[in-house]
Amino acid sequence: MQRLLLAAACAVALTIGAGAASAQEDDVGRQADGIFPFPYETFDLENGLRVYLVQAGAPGQIAYVTMVRTGSREEVEEGKSGFAHFFEHMMFRGTDKYPNYDGITEQLGAARNASTSDDWTRYYLVASNEYLAKIVDLESDRFQNLKYAEPAFRTEAGAILGEYQNSAYSPFAVLNREIRELVWTMHTYRHSTIGFEADVRAMPEGFAYSRSFYDRFYRPDNSVLLVVGDFDPAEAERLIREHYGDWKPGYQAPQVPAEPPQEGERKKVVEYPGRTLPIVTINYRAPAWSATDELAVATELLGPVAFGPNSEIYRKLVIEEQRVQFLQPNFGLQRDPTVVSIAAMVSDPADVDAVRAELLGAVEKARTEPVDPKLLEDTKSNQKYGFLMGLETALGTAFSLTQPIISTGGIEAVNDYYRTLDGISPELVQKAAQEILVESGRSLVTLVQGGES
Amino acid sequence: MPVMLRNRSPRGYGATAAAAAIVASSLLVLGCGTADTSAGSPEIEGTVLLPEAGSPFVAFDVWVQVGSQDDPEGKEGLAALTAALLSDSGTTEHTYQELLEQLYPMATSYFAVTDKEMTTFRGVVHVDKLEEFYRLFRNALLAPAFRQEDFDRVKAQTMNYLENGRRFQRDEELSKELLFWRVYRGTSYAHPEEGYVQSVKALTLDDVKAFYRDHYLRNNLVVGIGGGYPTDFPQRARADFDALPEGEVARTPAPVPAMPEGVEVVLVEKDTDASAISFGYPIDVVRGEDDYYELYLANTWLGDHRNSFSRLYQVIREKRGMNYGDYSYVEAFPLGFTTQERPVNVSRRSQIHEIWIRPISLTNETDLHDRTLFAIRAAWRELEKLAENGLPREEVERTKTYLYNFAVTFGSTTLRRLAYAIDDAFYGMEKDGFLAEVRPAVQAMTPEQVNAAIDEHFQAQNMVLVVITRDAEAFKKKLLSGEKTLISYAGEQPPEILAEDQEIATYPIPVKEEDIEILDILEVFEGEAPAKAATPAEPTESQ
Repeated sequence: MQRLLLAAACAVALTIGAGAASAQEDDVGRQADGIFPFPYETFDLENGLRVYLVQAGAPGQIAYVTMVRTGSREEVEEGKSGFAHFFEHMMFRGTDKYPNYDGITEQLGAARNASTSDDWTRYYLVASNEYLAKIVDLESDRFQNLKYAEPAFRTEAGAILGEYQNSAYSPFAVLNREIRELVWTMHTYRHSTIGFEADVRAMPEGFAYSRSFYDRFYRPDNSVLLVVGDFDPAEAERLIREHYGDWKPGYQAPQVPAEPPQEGERKKVVEYPGRTLPIVTINYRAPAWSATDELAVATELLGPVAFGPNSEIYRKLVIEEQRVQFLQPNFGLQRDPTVVSIAAMVSDPADVDAVRAELLGAVEKARTEPVDPKLLEDTKSNQKYGFLMGLETALGTAFSLTQPIISTGGIEAVNDYYRTLDGISPELVQKAAQEILVESGRSLVTLVQGGES
Repeated sequence: MPVMLRNRSPRGYGATAAAAAIVASSLLVLGCGTADTSAGSPEIEGTVLLPEAGSPFVAFDVWVQVGSQDDPEGKEGLAALTAALLSDSGTTEHTYQELLEQLYPMATSYFAVTDKEMTTFRGVVHVDKLEEFYRLFRNALLAPAFRQEDFDRVKAQTMNYLENGRRFQRDEELSKELLFWRVYRGTSYAHPEEGYVQSVKALTLDDVKAFYRDHYLRNNLVVGIGGGYPTDFPQRARADFDALPEGEVARTPAPVPAMPEGVEVVLVEKDTDASAISFGYPIDVVRGEDDYYELYLANTWLGDHRNSFSRLYQVIREKRGMNYGDYSYVEAFPLGFTTQERPVNVSRRSQIHEIWIRPISLTNETDLHDRTLFAIRAAWRELEKLAENGLPREEVERTKTYLYNFAVTFGSTTLRRLAYAIDDAFYGMEKDGFLAEVRPAVQAMTPEQVNAAIDEHFQAQNMVLVVITRDAEAFKKKLLSGEKTLISYAGEQPPEILAEDQEIATYPIPVKEEDIEILDILEVFEGEAPAKAATPAEPTESQ
């Protein structure tokens, strides 16, 4: 049954946004000034590197996380989609000082990896705190002195192709690609983080480009370092100042093309070559993530309130009539204006149009009626406890701070976000629906099994 | 009712704890937790407790001693469907909708996982919400409503997974399931936990009710609780579960899979640009037995999950860039593509040595099968070298250092620590337990012990191989021909790699035609396992 649970979770793969909303209530505020419960120190180096030292997590362990505020969003050049992710792989290829990065982390017994999204690239190690000095040395070195030769680069390109192929054929992956390409005409959110397949296959030729990627984006003024866990902050600060002080600033922000306003509904039916039930999606253009903009925060609440498991439409389609196998709102926002979506897997292929009409009816209702105040408060509570539940491990704590860091450069916005969220009223959620859920900004994308369209 | 717990044989003694060592016990006295004994909980029968005073979380892990091995013949998937229905439907106190409404503000839920031998119901809640959550969680197990509409919903979702999702979402996971199916054919482990299309289609609500009545018994489940709960809580919780009736459960014997005779192959025909590959063979060591830690270490060297220094990864991905990763396992690891963490609550009395080669993509229209076979040969050759030669002393020491340090990350959350403690109970390791034992065991082992275990348990002659690929007939011909399958590279490769390629490309995999079976993707797990070496099916259109 694990696999079945996962199949349901695959719906989440449709998420185009990544925002993690949270809420604060009087009965859970852990500190007078915000929800984030752990003490921390922060400082900036002269080169622009911002550092957070957070006392939290498992005894004896640390999570060491470097966030680079560059993801596939910054891949503006034609034919170079997927390079932020590819470059993340190359960061494990060593330096003159430590040619065998993997070998060293192996001996530390560190759990370590990295991941890349539209908006960020995130590197982590989790290890015993006795290795703090070694890890500061090792990580600061690869962020400043990474070195790899072209043959190794070309070889690693093959691994990216393999990664692409791991899931390229699932209906969710196919649908996600099609939504992006329909919604975006200019902005780099048009391509997924792993990149267009043609670009992935051409990656071996991109050695010079990869070096420029490092030069332009892997800079202290585009990075934030978090150390979370059980360690001596004074010692950590001393080590970090010593090892990162010479890192040269020089982030070159690319001109990410702005997406012009959408002027009219778009539609697409995608034929899936394997077996699947149909998936109906309704997608809308939406604002950028913000900790203080009420409309943005209300938009993130709108999704679960209007289409989540306690919404009227969910009860009708999933539970009572069982015409839909899952209904999933994806209303997380991103660094740039993004897309929010409602996705439903339909039990009977003949029912696709009727289900879509039902969903559009729920959209209309969200625009014309204020949401149930209790459901809104429950949703705030859900977001708040969801945030708190994510803080069980040092690594989870670091990861829970990703969106504020990527959007604002610091973690302080996490408390701002809760303050804003606290003040969101049913009327504000309705206002968000009226502004976001508009026909002219809508894209209807439906995936059906081949031969059934 | 006797419950079966494996008695762990003392390490260092000659006797192995084989199936005969399973003992009957009339009680599940699993006692107090290991994390914080200062909390001073009394021992409570039928519980596993892991008090962690001051933790803001409380974790639950209720272990019901039933799994897919207990599915009646023709009703494969019943244990899993029963657990799914309990965890995802209404109770006599609340409708499903009401449950969702109550769970939602807590930002939590509970879930069930059914493996071959065990079913676990797990959940974590913030301590603020403990009582509210526990009431719902408890009712799910003790007061299910068995409403027809809930059954219809859960069954429809399951059928969609069986008919579509399992076959079209992740070929690499499917290839692993097929490997287990083939290795365990004719045993209680053969069918996937979720069942076959046809068997689940025939299940009714009455089947589920009967299965619940026969297996969800007070003396057939263990209540695991961990984290920052009040000291009187476990007593109360266990008393609640004691309201279940007592009863006899016939224990399904542990499977004894036959070692393949030579190489047995399952090929799946599917329209794809990448091949999914799994191969392996049964081993007779499980956690808690002699040689377990030694094999665990040897396998860590060969193919530790998602770690880049291991041998298979180095040879296939790191040096040759053929795919995303290459790993091996001495314990079942379902859904490995979703996580870097080791699985919990998939304890089994039989295990296989499993090699997982992640999808191998074509790089031009003609090279998919050459690359596929090259990767298989490369991995097989590494396994054979390990089985034949063992590990040099320095490699053992290097791997020991890694594993000793890395093991501190295994129990990263309260729920994981609790789940490990449940697994300890399954394996009869409740005195120390895996998390407490693994580091000292690694530290203490010698290269001689590791190599003796390798010599005893690893081999590369008898194997089940599963490949999901396009034009399976053509792949079958290539496999039978023994022809050389060199690969090309996007970049320059050093001479030693090219020289090794010559050896890999001709590495023999001795297969007989009658030992190759071809299935169309739409036949996979449709019904009961076909007989061995069935006539190859005619490929059908998959659209």
